[in-house]
Parts: sequence; C-alpha cells; structure tokens
Amino acid sequence: MKRRSLYLALGVLSALAMVLASCAPAGPARPYEEIPYSEPMILDAGNCDYGGLMRSVEAVDQFTVRFTLCAFDPGFLSKMGFSVFGIYPREWLEYATKAETPAEVRLRAPVGTGPYVVSEWTAGESLTFKRFDDYWGEPAKTETLVFRWSSESAARVLELQAGTVAGIDNPGPDDFEVIEADANLQLVERPALNTFYIAMTNTFEPFDDVKVRQAVAMGIDRQRIVDTFYPRGSEVATHFTPCAIPNGCTGDAWYDFDPAAAKALLAEAGLADGFSTRLYYRDVVRGYLPEVPRVAEEIQAQLLQNLNIDAEIVVMESGAFIEESGAGRLDGLYLLGWGADYPHVTNFLDFHFGEANPQFGTPHPEIYETLVEAAAIVDPAEAEPLYAEANNAIKELVPMVPVAHGGSAAAYRADFDTPQASPLTEERFAFSAPGEGDTLVWMQNAEPISLFCADETDGESLRGCTQIVEGLYSYVVNDTALEPALATECTASEDLTVWTCALRQGVKFHDGTSFDANDVVATFTMGLDASSPLHNGNTNAWEYYAYLWTSLMNVPAP
Amino acid sequence: MTADATAPGLRLLPAEELTGKPVSLWRTAWRRLFQRRSALLGMAILGALVVVAVTAPWIAPYDPYQVLIGVEAVDDRDPPCIHLLGCPADRPQHLMGIDSNVRDLFSRVLYGAQYSLIIGVTSVSFAIVVGTLLGALAGYLGGWVEDLIMRVMDVLLAFPALLLAIAIVAVLGPGLINALIAIGIVSIPVYARVVRASVLSVKETDFVAASRALGAGMGTILFRSVLPNALTPLIVQGTLGIATAILDAAALSFLGLGAQPPTPEWGSMLGKDRNQVFTAPHLVFFPGLGIMLTVLGFNLLGDGLRDALDPRLGREGTKLGEA
Amino acid sequence: MLQYGARRLLTSIPVLVGIVVVVFVLARLIPGGACKAMLGEKATEAACERFDRANGLDKPVINCIKSVRPLRFGGCFVNPVETQLFIYAGQLLRGDFGQSIRFSRPVSIILVEQIPTTIELSLAALALAVLIGVPAGILSAIRHNSAVDIATMAGANIGVSMPVFWLGLMLAFLFSIVIPILPPSGRISAGLTAEPFYQVWGLYLAKGTAIYTLLEFFSNLYILNSILTLDFEVLFDVLKHLILPAAALSTIPLSIIARMTRSSLLEVLGQEYIRAAKAKGVPRVRLVVRHALRNALLPVVTIIGLSLGGLLGGAVLTETVFKLSGVGRILFEAITARDYPIIQAFTLVIAVSYVVINMIVDISYSYLDPRIRLQ
Repeated sequence: MKRRSLYLALGVLSALAMVLASCAPAGPARPYEEIPYSEPMILDAGNCDYGGLMRSVEAVDQFTVRFTLCAFDPGFLSKMGFSVFGIYPREWLEYATKAETPAEVRLRAPVGTGPYVVSEWTAGESLTFKRFDDYWGEPAKTETLVFRWSSESAARVLELQAGTVAGIDNPGPDDFEVIEADANLQLVERPALNTFYIAMTNTFEPFDDVKVRQAVAMGIDRQRIVDTFYPRGSEVATHFTPCAIPNGCTGDAWYDFDPAAAKALLAEAGLADGFSTRLYYRDVVRGYLPEVPRVAEEIQAQLLQNLNIDAEIVVMESGAFIEESGAGRLDGLYLLGWGADYPHVTNFLDFHFGEANPQFGTPHPEIYETLVEAAAIVDPAEAEPLYAEANNAIKELVPMVPVAHGGSAAAYRADFDTPQASPLTEERFAFSAPGEGDTLVWMQNAEPISLFCADETDGESLRGCTQIVEGLYSYVVNDTALEPALATECTASEDLTVWTCALRQGVKFHDGTSFDANDVVATFTMGLDASSPLHNGNTNAWEYYAYLWTSLMNVPAP
Repeated sequence: MTADATAPGLRLLPAEELTGKPVSLWRTAWRRLFQRRSALLGMAILGALVVVAVTAPWIAPYDPYQVLIGVEAVDDRDPPCIHLLGCPADRPQHLMGIDSNVRDLFSRVLYGAQYSLIIGVTSVSFAIVVGTLLGALAGYLGGWVEDLIMRVMDVLLAFPALLLAIAIVAVLGPGLINALIAIGIVSIPVYARVVRASVLSVKETDFVAASRALGAGMGTILFRSVLPNALTPLIVQGTLGIATAILDAAALSFLGLGAQPPTPEWGSMLGKDRNQVFTAPHLVFFPGLGIMLTVLGFNLLGDGLRDALDPRLGREGTKLGEA
Repeated sequence: MLQYGARRLLTSIPVLVGIVVVVFVLARLIPGGACKAMLGEKATEAACERFDRANGLDKPVINCIKSVRPLRFGGCFVNPVETQLFIYAGQLLRGDFGQSIRFSRPVSIILVEQIPTTIELSLAALALAVLIGVPAGILSAIRHNSAVDIATMAGANIGVSMPVFWLGLMLAFLFSIVIPILPPSGRISAGLTAEPFYQVWGLYLAKGTAIYTLLEFFSNLYILNSILTLDFEVLFDVLKHLILPAAALSTIPLSIIARMTRSSLLEVLGQEYIRAAKAKGVPRVRLVVRHALRNALLPVVTIIGLSLGGLLGGAVLTETVFKLSGVGRILFEAITARDYPIIQAFTLVIAVSYVVINMIVDISYSYLDPRIRLQ
C-alpha cells in the first residue's frame, strides 16, 4: 500500500520533470515572417456610396501613401495625430487578428513604432513599458515607464506626496492648493478643451416644448456649480464649444441665470407648478465632470429650488448610459460631456448636432444645415458667420444646456523633468523623466481596457497607446499643434480631397520588421474594412474609425 | 450586578409569590433582561435612536436637503464648528460640519437614524414572515416539500450573505426598496430553519396529537400550538438579525446599490464621500459612527434577549456577549 | 469517520448543483445585456446579434426561456443540449470557465490572478482573528468578571457591530495621515515587483499549460512567493500593505472568536471533571491548558470555519476601501459590466469553497467529537 503511493509520487515527479523539460526557454522568435515590400496594397471602397468619408488608401510606392477622401475634411491632419489611428506592422496584424491567435496578443501587447514597448501588464496592479532601443527618433529619456491607477483622487495625491509615484493625473479640486503649497510638488494645469452639458431629449414630454428647455437653461445657476464644484481653471460655458478652439464661441453668449424668467416660461408652457422627471448620470470621472455625484445632487437641488422640478437621480452603468443616452432613449435630463478628440470645431458641433445624432431627440435642421454649410469652408474667418448662426440656433432651441469647461491638471514631483498636461490627454512620457532613478511611475484614474486602441475609446487606454504606437503625425508635447511622425509630410491636392503622405524611412517596429507604405494601408484596412479578416479588435465596435471617417466600409447588411 | 439593575427584580418576585400566581415566562424574561447591564445599555442606545428618528424634524437645526450656498458663509466640506469648543461665535454652528453638497451634516445624520431603523425592521420582518411560512410548511408537511424547501435554503446559505445580496440588487436594480428586498431574501433561511426545528420538536407531542384528534385543521394547529413555541428563538434571532441587516444595507448603500442621493442614509453618505476620508474625515466619521451605534444597540439587546428568554442557557456566565 | 465524510460529501452534491443553477440564472437575470455594456455607443442591433452569437448568448438560457427578459413561456421546446445552461454545465465539467467578455481573456487566468489576493487577505485576517481572539477569550474567561474581562467583552461587542468599510477608512486615515506609517491602499509599492518564484528558480514554462497556471497561482500569493524567492524587501512591503486591510477585515471574526472562546471555556470550567481536577490540586495553568482548553475549543473551531464565509463577503468591502484587486472587487465590477462568465465563475468559486469549508469543518468536528459521528 505504502509502496504504491511511493511509485505514484515518483511517477508524478518524473512526468512533471518531463513537462518542465519540454517547456525549455522559449526563444524570442516571432511566430510570423517579415514580408518585404513588393506589391503595393490598396484599400478602395470603389465609390463613396457607402456613406463614409474615406474613398481609398493606397500605397503609391514603398514610402508614399495616398488618401482619397469623398469630401473635404478640415480635420484630416488632426485626425492623423490621434493615437487611435496609430500604425501597426502588416505582418503582425495578419497574425494577431487571426481567430486562433489568443486575443491577449492583440489586446495586451500590440506592436508599434513608439518609443516604448509593453513589457509587463499585471492585471489590476500596474502596466510596465520598457524603452524601445531601435526607436527612430530621440530615445525615451527614461528606461522604464510604469502606469498605475486609482479611481480616487485623494489616493493619487497621497501616493504623489509619499513619492511612490512621480506624476498623477487629475488631482481633486480640493488638492490644488495643497499641491501648490508643497515645495516637493508642482501642478500643471490642463487647458479646458471640453464641455459638460445637461441634455434633454426633445422626443419626451415635457422637453418637447422649447419653452421648458429654455426654462431649464435659465433656471440653472451655472456660476454656482463652477464656483463650488470645479477646479481652478474651469470656466462657465458661454457656448457649447470652448473658446480655445477656433470659431468655438462665436455668436451670442448663453442665457444669464434668471429663475423668475425661467418660472414664467414654465408657466407659459402650462407647468407653473413644475413637474417630476429623472436625472440620469454615470459615475465616471472625466475632465469635464470631476465630481459627478456632487454635481448631480447640486443640479437636482437647483431644479427643485429654482423651477420646482422634482428630479429623481438615477445612476446608470457607464456602458448602458452611453447606449441609452446616445440613442435618445432617456426620458429625463442627463449629465454628459465631451472632450476634444482633435482641436477642431467640427469635433464638437457636427458630432452632437448633426442630422444623424438622435441623442437630443429629433435633430434641428436650423442647426445642422448651417453646420454642413460651414464645414465645407476651409478658411476659418470665412466660416465664422455661419458658426455664429449655428451657435445662436443652439441657444434658441436648447437641445442641451452647456454648463462648464472643466479645467483639470496633472501634478508631479517638483524635480520632474518636462512635466506634461496635454490638452488632449495624450501625454508622451518619452520626453519626460523623474528627478532620480530610471523608472517613471505615472498614476492615472483607471486601468486601460486594452492597448489595442484602434478599437478603444477610453482615454485611459489611449494614453497607454500613445507610448507604443504612432500615427503619421503626433501632437506636440503639451500642445494641440501637430508635428510629423511616421510621415515626413502630407500634402493636399487643390480641392483638399487627396492627401499624399511621404513616409519616414528606416523606421523599425518593435518586432524588428521595417515600416513601409503597406503597413499604413493594412492598418486602415483593419480599421475601416468591416469585411477584412484583419477587422478583429476588442469589442469590434471600431467607434472612432466609424465616427471620425463617418462610416466603415463593407458593413454586412443586418 | 449593580444594585439598581437588580432592584426591580427583587421587588417583583415577592409580589408574585404573594398573589400565588404562577411566575409567567415573559415576566421572568423581562426581569432577567432588566438585570443585564449590556441589555440595558442596548435598550438605552436604541431608545435614544428612536427618539432621534422620531423627533428629527424638530431637533435638526437645518433641513437635511437644504443647500447652504448663499444662505450662510460656509464652504463645502467645512469641518465641524462648535461654539462651545472655541469656534468663533460669528461663524454659524455646525456640530458635524458641512457635507460635499454644502448641507448641514448633523441634520442629515439625525435623519439618517430614521432610515437605518426602518431598513432593519422592515427587511427582517419580511424575512421572518416568509421564513416562518416556509419553515412551518417544511416542518409540518415533511416529505418532498420539506426536502425541496430546505435544499433551497441550503443553497441560499451557501453564498456569503452580502455577495448574494449584491447579486440580487444587481438583478432588481439599485435602490433602497430593492436593497431591502435583497437583504430580506438572504435572511430567510435562518428563520426558516429556526421555525422548522421548532415545528419538528412539537409536532409529535401529545398535545398536538390531541388537537389533531379533536379535528383541528392544519392552520389552527400551526398558529395555536406550533408557532408560539417558535416565538422565543424568532425574537432573539430577529433582534440579532436586524443588526446584521442594518450592516448589510449600509454596505449595499456604501457600494452605491442601496439608498440613492440625496437620501440622508448613513451608508450612502459614507460611500459618496469615502474619497474624502483623508481631507474631510468628518464626512465619513459621523455616519459610520451612527451605523456602529445602531448595530451595537441591536446586538446588545439581542444578546440580552437570548439570555433572558432561553432558560436552557440560563446559567450565569455562559452566554455570549455579556459585558 | 470515512463513512461520515462520504455521507457529508453526498449531501453536498444537490447543494452544489443548486449553486450552479442559481448562479447561472441570477447572472442572466441582471438587466441589460453584455452587448450593450461592452459595445456601448455605436452598437447596432446587427452588431449585437453578431456579438451574442460569438459569445453563445443567442441560445435559449434554459429550456423554455429564450432569454430571461422578456419572459416567454409555452411552445418553446428545444433540445436541452442547445441551451446555455447545458453548454455551461458541460464546460464546467471539463474545467473550462470560458472567456471573459470584457477582457477577452480566459476566466481561469483571471481567477488565477485575482484569487490569491483574496486568499492572502482572508487568511491574514483569519490569522489575526485567531491569534488575538483566542488568547483574549481565554484571558477573559480565566479572569472572569475582572476589568480585563469587561473591557475585552465590551471591545468584542463593539467589534461585531463594526461596519468593515467604515473601520477600514478610519484605519487608513489614522495610520497613513495622522500617523503616516502604513500605506493607505494597494498590495505592493510601485517599482517593486514580486518576480515569480519559478522564474527566479530558472524554470521557463509555456503559457497556457496546467502547470504554468498552477505555479502562476502560487506566485501570485505574494507572501509565499517572496519567501520562496527570499526577497525580503518585497515580503516586508507586502506585509506592510496587508496590515490595515487584514485588521479591518478581522474585526468581526475576532470579536466572535473571543466571545465564543470565553463562553465555551467558562462552561467547561464549570463542569464536574474540572472541579474534580481542581479538588485534586491540579495547578491552575495546567488545569486550563491540559484539561479545559481542548474541550472548550471545539465550538471555536466551528466558528472559525463559519467566519470564512463572512470574510469572503467582507472582502468585497475591504477590497473596495483599500483598492485591492481581488475576487470581491472584480466580481462587483463584472456585475456592472454584465460579464457573465466572470460573474458565474467567481460566484461559483466562492460558493463552492464556502460549501467545502463547511464540509471540512463538519468532518473535522466529527473527528474531534466522536458523538457527532454516531448521530
């Protein structure tokens, strides 16, 4: 009996040894071959009937790519700097998007050309990057970059004070003074390129009555909200688009707070005694809304006090909230905001008030027709009167009430080299270094969802991608201006619908393959062509590809 | 034992013996209860809480929902300002400070007592009613009904109570009422088991057999003979159960699944401002203290009741929770 | 003994089956589909259909319920093999927990990453509870009605009434702000990494093998791992991070154990055989340690086992307060994201371990007290 268990143990041990031996050190060999540039690739929709903005992307020669658009796009170059449109190697894409390749290859350690390579991602704890030694440009100042996260600003500030992290994102408004008073710390304010708004869906009673919407617009003391709940650097919104964006705040400024006039309007609408409704929000911190539950309670209290509107607060799960509000299915008021993807007025106005967006109910032709007209004009000065007209229509029709442009900040140790607070929240840490040591620890609000940003929308994820992938252009550190990255220059045709980009030569990807025009075409095929085998992301919603280029190609009919 | 705690007992006992009446179980229980300092303390705490809850509209210095921006010179999250403790007299007095939405925290904490007490009592009452029915059915009918009911109870007990409550609220949707239902559901098995055990213990007695022979229906037997027998353990379990229910409800609200803003419920007040614990600890401290005191009150009373009502545990010094 | 164990095991089977069904149905009853939660903003009906098909969510949940909401009964007989429940049960039997919808990663890997945090936290809390609770109870019983006794029992009463999340926050405030000696959150300081012991030992394993998963699991128990790798810097750092959450989580079981130890020891001390031993002149310490304690600790063992379930529930709150990423937190987040495979797997693991722990407690109890076996 005893002997038998001994044999059993020996057997198990030897089996174990065999298994261990068979799993001897795995080499760094990549499971795919490099494909040298020969045949130029092309992504061609054939025509523009599918409704999208991109007609074709083609490799002209090894280092030239041509984009043919269906219409003039004032934001083309700005979009090219957006990390969602970062370029991946064609070979890796073909391997990583295959169904049998584990999704982790694609989602957790994608290959790019950026100054950092993903080294280790311990779920729930930290994400570590290592300097990419074959980087084409100036190598990263710091050898190791670590992302950590905590959803609570107080905890982030505490870690910064303790010196366990070198920089943090979004310190709480209350901590601004604490940080400035501390000689070991510094605060970097981020320009307010965002808007927080209270939305109403005009297909539900009583918000179908413009008087009710105007009453809400006048009955909310927005100054009080910004003064009490927003950090310094924030401002009360005079228009939907922040003034820092060209043509953002043309036209008349928003209504002044006037509860008496608001009540009169309600009375005209037959609701002198107020009404009951709901106030929806998601408990997610964004630059435009730093303290969500507090602001929601404040608005609830103001609605009751100023307008006798009894709003029941409903907290929704983030995904469901975006889904329901975006489809115009929320029957009350809801709190949402927008942060700039790229610094152009179309990114604010056209997205929200365009004909295709049902989030405020039925879109108003007074607004969207003017916007379409304005977007076709290249010269901002020439477009100004049209934007003034659109802004005035928004004020008149009140699809939503713009409340604030939220200032936010990042905080760093005082000895930090090149502190950053990018207006687009795309900090590029290759240009920064901590005071001492060779590890830069950065603490943000949340863990990235994945690092395959082509199919992500979450800002915390995009910041991670900014370190590892690059687009044809990049945003200058701490600025919204563009500088060439993987392209040396992109030039437009006369009518601004054909862009030809000369690519940088001698660029290596993290996997050792060389960068050429086919990588660009493959990347856009992955993102835009719904019928391509490469079109396999994380959620497969491809929101930014679908929205910034208006539509995906070859979408199967439902 | 202190003299005043034993005094009523000493007076009562001879009086009953003089009249020659049998000493009632309830009387004895009351006497035992009043002899226990811990139970007295529990009753005192609960009494005070009930008084606070009932009189909150009169004793609260402010409306718990009133935003004080522009009304008084106070800032959000101001620490407590108590004139007696040296806060300048020209500043408005706020015993527990100002909350995140510039409201008087003291008034909100006072109103919070209402919610905690109501939550505890209603969810446990719900659990007792359902649990008693199920337990009585299982014990009385036996057979597959009993098997089915008790296995379901086993499954419910196999989950940590709070996790199961979270899952149920996730199904029902967040909100105070749904949190109450969830906590009620997870508490059912305890009562079902207690009642079933009592039913089993009296089912075969001559007394019940006699009732049955006399043609008494099932309902009559259950309500006349069986349930009174289960009353003692139910009261004890119920009181202790209220303590647990309040803790769990506060935990649900803390996680954002229970009471929704602006309801001044302690758990949700605490949960909403938990990020501020390092900068404005008063926002977390006072609501938490409220929860702790309420739970402590029910625990002390429950322990005292157990000692007083259960003569089998009657020997001195062998009870849980005697301080 | 064996027979009792076998019987106990058999009676657990229906409960386990019940748990699987309850977990499965509860997960599907949560309103809002995984598709909406995952695809968000731009998800069309068609995209959702594709998503559901890819994740097996288009099949009927149970035989007569196509999708739980809206409830549709009648005329819906399908081959039971085609139902989600059956497919899920089949996967379970093969030891496959499926893929997380949110992270697109196998649930088993996520389990392996998250469970060790909770195990470490719960065991540390339990250790604190036993190491402090039992001696406190003994002391209280020996010095019955003394100031020590009254103080201990008052403390225990307050302890059982303590909201874990409140205590955790107050402890964090006290020990990281007022007296800044302990970290307020997290499991390990940034910059430190607990290098897996098998790598330190020079074992290179292919990802995805069972042995790799097993070793990965143990290496995620940071305390064990840092002892195995003799990395004392990490060990102390991890211990420092563990003190506050473990202390907060241990309060309730500690108080219960202290009370139980005290009352049970008092009862034993009042029994005939102890009095006889006392009369024989057995020294006091020997009397308590040799004669009374063994019997008195029997019910305490049960209580220790039962408190593990409470610990798992409290872990959700403790992990939230101290920002630890463990079973409790990932489960809570999975519920909001409708990540069914994670909800199912984690609830299942928790419930099953609870059942198993109870079973072990019962069996060990029957070992300690032969009377039970004969019932």
